[in-house]
Amino acid sequence: MDPRCDVQRGGSTGGSSGDSSAASRRRKVPPRPADCKLQVIIIGSRGVGKTSLMERFTDDTFCEACKSTVGVDFKIKTVELRGLKIRLQIWDTAGQERFNSITSAYYRGAKGIVLVYDITKQETFDDLPKWMKMIDKYASEDAELLLVGNKLDCEADRVITRQQAERFAARVSGLRFCEASAKDNFNVDEIFLKLVDDILSKMPLEVPRRELSNSILSLQPEPDVPPELPPPRMRCC
Amino acid sequence: MDKSNPSARNEGSVDTSTLVSEDGKNMKSVVCQRCGSKVLCPGMAIFAEKELFLPSMRKKTTINQSDGTLDGDTLTAHWLVDDMYTFENVGFTKDVGKVKYLICADCEIGPIGWHNLDDQKTFYVALDRVDHE
Repeated sequence: MDPRCDVQRGGSTGGSSGDSSAASRRRKVPPRPADCKLQVIIIGSRGVGKTSLMERFTDDTFCEACKSTVGVDFKIKTVELRGLKIRLQIWDTAGQERFNSITSAYYRGAKGIVLVYDITKQETFDDLPKWMKMIDKYASEDAELLLVGNKLDCEADRVITRQQAERFAARVSGLRFCEASAKDNFNVDEIFLKLVDDILSKMPLEVPRRELSNSILSLQPEPDVPPELPPPRMRCC
Repeated sequence: MDKSNPSARNEGSVDTSTLVSEDGKNMKSVVCQRCGSKVLCPGMAIFAEKELFLPSMRKKTTINQSDGTLDGDTLTAHWLVDDMYTFENVGFTKDVGKVKYLICADCEIGPIGWHNLDDQKTFYVALDRVDHE
C-alpha cells in the first residue's frame, strides 16, 4: 500500500456501489460516511513506545510482550469530535527508526505528526533535533506536531525532566508537548484527540462546511467551544 | 478464546439470512470476535462470495514447521468494501506478496480479511472471522 494515499475528504465512502437502485432505498437512513479523513504518523527513536501508543489509543490491549513491531503497517481508527466523525489513518513507523529509512512519503500526506521519545532514555531525547530536521524537510508546513514523552509509568528511571522537554518544544514553533504512558494508558486518548482537535482548528472553515454538506447526518453547527476531552480512562488491568 | 472450538473451519455455520439485508448489505455491525472493536457499521459493506485463503487466527506462527505449508482456511463468505476509509477500525499488515491482511485495529487478532494490492478498490472481511451485533 502506498502511504502517499491522498487524504481524501468527505463524500463517497464505500458501500456505494449499485447507485442505480439507490433511489429505491431512500426510505432507509443511509449509513453515515466519515466527515473527514486524516493521516497521522508516529515517529521517534527505537523502543520509545510508538506502537504501544498506537495500540493503546482505543482500548485495553497493552501487551507487555509486544516489544517490537511485527507486521502491522497502518490502522484506520475512527474518532468523533466536534460532531464530526473522523477517520484517522495512523502509520506507525516502528522498525524504520533510522532517520533516513522512513521514506518522505510517510511525511508528505501527514496532517498530524506524533514525535515520541522515552523519558528514561537520554539518547531518544537527543535524537529529537534529527527528527525535527526530517519533519522540516519532508512534512507539510501545516502539519500539526505533538511531542510526546512516553513511559511516564517509569518515573523512577526518568532522566529527561518535563522542563527540559518543555524548553525544547518552546523553541520549535507549533510544537506542543505532553507526557504519556502507553502502559498505564495515561494521556494516550488525549494525545490523539488533542491532535485531531488542533488539526480541525487549523482547517479552513469552508473545508469542514463542505464536508458537512456531504453528510446529511452532520448538519449541526460546529460548537464554538471545543468539546471537553474525556477524562483519562481508569486503569483497568 | 476457546482453542478447542475450531469454529473457523465450519464455514457455513454463519447464517447469512440474519446478516445480509435485501440489498445485499450487512444488517449488523461487524465487530472483532475477541475484543469487540467495531470494524464496520451496519449497511457499509456488501456481501460477496469469493474463495480466499486466510491463514489461521489460532496460532502465533501459522507456518507448519514440518512441511512449510500454511495453516488456514479457504473462506468464501465475505463483506466487501471499496474504500479503506469505510472501516470504523481496522489494521493492515505489511505486504505478504501482493496481499495485505486485515486485522483488528485494537487487539490485532487476525487475519480477519484480505486485500490485494493490485486492486485498490476491494477489501474483504470474512464473515467467519468476525462477530455481528
